Amino acid sequence: MSEEPIDVRLERVRKTFGAVVAVDDVSIDIPRGSIFSLLGPSGCGKTTTLRLIAGFEQPDRGEVTIRANKVTAVPPYRRDFSMVFQSYALFPHLSVAENVAFGLRMRRVPRHERATAVREALDLVQLGAHADRYPRQLSGGQQQRVALARAIIVKPAVLLLDEPLGALDKMLREEMQVELRSLQQRLGITAVFVTHDQEEALTLSDQVAVMRNGAIEQMGPPREIYERPRNEFVAGFLGASNFLDGTVLARDHAGAIVETAAGRIPASAEAAVGSKVRIAVRPERVRVGPAGSEGLPARIRDIVYRGPITHLYMDSAAGSLLSYQQNAGAQAWQVGDEVRCAWDAQSGVAVVAERT
Amino acid sequence: MKGAWAWMLAIPPLAIALLFFVGPLLHLFWVSLHTSSQSELYGAALTLQNYGAVLTDSFYLGIIRRTLGVAALILAISLLIGYPVAYFVALQPPRRRMIVLLLLLFPLMVSNVVRAYGWVAILGRRGVLNSGLRSFGLIDAPLDLLYSTEAVVIGLMTILLPYMVISIANTLSSLDPRYEEAAQALGAGPVRTFVHVTLPLSTPGVASGMLLVFLLSLSAYVTITLLGGPRSKLLVSMVYDSVTAFQWPRAAALAFILLALALVVTALILAVLRPRRVQGMGR
Amino acid sequence: MLGPALRGVCATIAFALIIVPIAIVVVTAFSPLDYFEFPPRSLSLRWFVEFFRLENMRSAFALSLELAVLAATLSSVLGTMGALFLVRQRGFMAGVLQSLFLAPLVFPTIILGVALLLLYKTIGMPVFAGLVVAHCVIGLPYAFRTVLASAQALDPALEEAGQSLGAGPLRTLFVITLPLVWQGVVSGWLFAFIVSFGELNAALFLTGPGLTTLPIEIFSYLQFQGGQLVIAAASALQVGLIIVMVAAIERIVGIGRIIRAR
Repeated sequence: MSEEPIDVRLERVRKTFGAVVAVDDVSIDIPRGSIFSLLGPSGCGKTTTLRLIAGFEQPDRGEVTIRANKVTAVPPYRRDFSMVFQSYALFPHLSVAENVAFGLRMRRVPRHERATAVREALDLVQLGAHADRYPRQLSGGQQQRVALARAIIVKPAVLLLDEPLGALDKMLREEMQVELRSLQQRLGITAVFVTHDQEEALTLSDQVAVMRNGAIEQMGPPREIYERPRNEFVAGFLGASNFLDGTVLARDHAGAIVETAAGRIPASAEAAVGSKVRIAVRPERVRVGPAGSEGLPARIRDIVYRGPITHLYMDSAAGSLLSYQQNAGAQAWQVGDEVRCAWDAQSGVAVVAERT
Repeated sequence: MKGAWAWMLAIPPLAIALLFFVGPLLHLFWVSLHTSSQSELYGAALTLQNYGAVLTDSFYLGIIRRTLGVAALILAISLLIGYPVAYFVALQPPRRRMIVLLLLLFPLMVSNVVRAYGWVAILGRRGVLNSGLRSFGLIDAPLDLLYSTEAVVIGLMTILLPYMVISIANTLSSLDPRYEEAAQALGAGPVRTFVHVTLPLSTPGVASGMLLVFLLSLSAYVTITLLGGPRSKLLVSMVYDSVTAFQWPRAAALAFILLALALVVTALILAVLRPRRVQGMGR
Repeated sequence: MLGPALRGVCATIAFALIIVPIAIVVVTAFSPLDYFEFPPRSLSLRWFVEFFRLENMRSAFALSLELAVLAATLSSVLGTMGALFLVRQRGFMAGVLQSLFLAPLVFPTIILGVALLLLYKTIGMPVFAGLVVAHCVIGLPYAFRTVLASAQALDPALEEAGQSLGAGPLRTLFVITLPLVWQGVVSGWLFAFIVSFGELNAALFLTGPGLTTLPIEIFSYLQFQGGQLVIAAASALQVGLIIVMVAAIERIVGIGRIIRAR
């Protein structure tokens, strides 16, 4: 855990719109220099939370603190932050250079200094040649980089990003993810961004908060929330997952043995012997072997080729199972084959089931 | 804009609207409830006589009947001519359609008095029509076309026609063409597609066109006076006459009866056409 | 439906009915004779000369211009303020406010004229000021509507972006919002000008001795002095002015914007 000071703190923040609770008692600490992402489906409150940090919304309860200053009652134009908007919001009547200079102009930075800073910022995002162009003459990716330059030039305490890569196509998006991360690390800016794309959250963040219905379901580093989801929602949101219901039969040094309708499976549950559990296993952790080998018996229902991996859809007595097989030139399975599915104990995580 | 700042923007226009629009109208209504006076603007006592006298007087009732009749006629004709024209306009390619709409917009900006003058020049005893008919030997003496209810209808209808056309054309041209395609895919020919799909979907435009034409025809004093003359007075002329006779309470009552008529017919049109149910279903 | 041919015929008839009266007035203005003749044998500017020779015509023209400029400016300022306030508001009150600002569009202006006359008599309002206020109220919806259309087309994030970079509400208004809606503001001003210049129904009651507007002057001539062709010249001048203004609007805003603002 880093010893960095906390740049952004939300304390028990709550925001309602009429009868709808958009943000329900949320508390977050974001250390300096880290990238924090708010991840969740539409309407989960992630954008509202971001806007509460910015000051575009006022909380009904709770405190917002930026760099040890309580800013809950401070309007946005007096808070120490800057923002990259989903639509980029580049001023159409100003040139690229004028757009980037805007924040410095507001801070009354003298013209000479402004020009130098703008040049540097544009070089940082590789748009130096386009300084005198207008936003409408740029491509989506270029506009996005101008928006970024405009936001970082003011050296904010925190950089907020609202689905910044949402409008880009897949390849450009992946490129920009890498660029964004390297830029942030180079400059050491604290960043908070909102996304509904779990891959993006996992790629870019130091910490992820998965949100649903205004509350944080789980918060932690990417690896932790992916491999040790707390409940079925988080498990399902971050990627595909197998779910198996059973009862804890025994415990040993590796973990637990859980009895399911199809047989015994290993898991890393902490529940007591005899309790009912739901075990989540990631498809890439499911090893598929021929009949006779160790594991849960299943029959292959469907095989879908997906380029680098192949999806194996199987049926077992405990429900459907999905496995990702790397296409490294190995086993060639057929629909209808009887197989066995196995995984390590720590790959099976007990999750809280959804109330249905 | 949000917050206290925003209200600073709202207050000046709101103040003007309240002080010089809503306020005076409320004051006018208040005056309509008073008796007349010779020395003051209006008397001290409260009364409903002003309304009562008008609504029980056969002369005024006749005027009201004539006013409604004229308005209805204008509505009918402008709808009959206006809809096909609007259809024509809506079918034009975008560039040409814009120019045509501009051509329709331009006359609306010319003052009504000039447009009415044009009809005086056409229908007058020495006007275009009479001169033309005489030079072709079709008539010997000039026809008395002006100063009649018919002249008012013709003149006012052409003055207000662009409102109807623009209103309907805008709605028609913003209709998703896929509705008509869906109808045809289900077996409806051009006529049935029009009757069952296009026409109902164009009701918002028809409704707003009708409302605009109706309301403006009620209040077109200048046109009515120039083309109708002293014998074809309508309700709005009565308002004017009362004012020039300094009969303020009477004038006020007539004004609000006019407004009441407007409201009733508006409600009627909206109730019959029910434009709400298809609003927002364009593209 | 009715067949393209019938529609075309309808359209031609309709356009003729609409445009021809105006055309006749304009042509009459150039008549060399004392009366109207069609087709005119030659063209003459004598009636325009006569128009500018007559004191009452000149002053009516000047008054109308002055009035229109003042009223349009007021309408424009107030309409812009109202539009910028309402553009991001939702809810019942916002709807009521918008209806209030747009109401003079369909409200019978003659009744407004009567109501204002009563008010002015009661508070002793000077004539010219009263006219300016009346035309400001009547023109306000036009200015309001065009600025609202411009403002609604703006990305709401633009103002927030300005705030995120440190621009307070006033600076945001002047540096970001107004430069981006200027076309709506200008075309609103032009519409309000045109409306005021041609406005009759309210002016009918609100003009006074020595203070008449051009349309009122034309109207009284038509009512009481019959065939004086000088009013044709007056009318032609008004039409000419409107053509110039519409061309100006088209230049600034483009045809599409004008139509859609309707």
